Amino acid sequence: MGFDTAVKLTIYTFTAESGRIPSIQAVAQRVQTSTDEVAQAYARLRASRLLFLEPDGTTIRMAPPFSGVPTQHRVVVDGIEYFANCAWDALGIPAALHRPGTVRSRCEQSHEPLNLSVGLTGPEPSTWLFHCLVPAAKWWDDLVFT
Amino acid sequence: MLFFRSEELIREWCRARAVEPRPIVRMDQLWQLAVTWYGARLEPVSRRPAANEMREIFARLGLHDAFWDPQADTFQ
Repeated sequence: MGFDTAVKLTIYTFTAESGRIPSIQAVAQRVQTSTDEVAQAYARLRASRLLFLEPDGTTIRMAPPFSGVPTQHRVVVDGIEYFANCAWDALGIPAALHRPGTVRSRCEQSHEPLNLSVGLTGPEPSTWLFHCLVPAAKWWDDLVFT
Repeated sequence: MLFFRSEELIREWCRARAVEPRPIVRMDQLWQLAVTWYGARLEPVSRRPAANEMREIFARLGLHDAFWDPQADTFQ
């Protein structure tokens, strides 16, 4: 397994276990290397659009579908609460973990709460909808806005 | 990328921001996108779909609009 893959798996395993994206120090400790080496791997993973970093280059804002900061899209799986980057990623968390869960979010216009049960084969029947303002070609131009 | 309770509430939200409504995605379609994007994300070989793969994924779900084309210049 390559170094970048080991870093990526460490990030995702830590997040899956804890519900929180790890610090660069925690990643470096787990892969037994320096934070400088990990930061270089972060930059390469960012170039592959597998991570989205804060301007410091060492803090992970997004390890999609997981968010490094609290959001309105919360997902509970096996008693662990995760933050998702967006509505798409909210369903992406049970899909990534291959575990049933509950998506808690809201209608962006009415603020009606959404509590959506998601099983191994998908969400319960629901008439809720997904809307994205930004076209696919622009998603990574401003990923936080997207 | 947001959840809405109904098409009318999407239209209200767009009107309030003076923006055009975009294509609407059902929950079953969104689940298929989530599985395709993230189903292998915790595995060593996972990667983000390439542009041509994205087009195929969206097309399979009936999302044919240029809005979903990752290389479209329609929205420049």
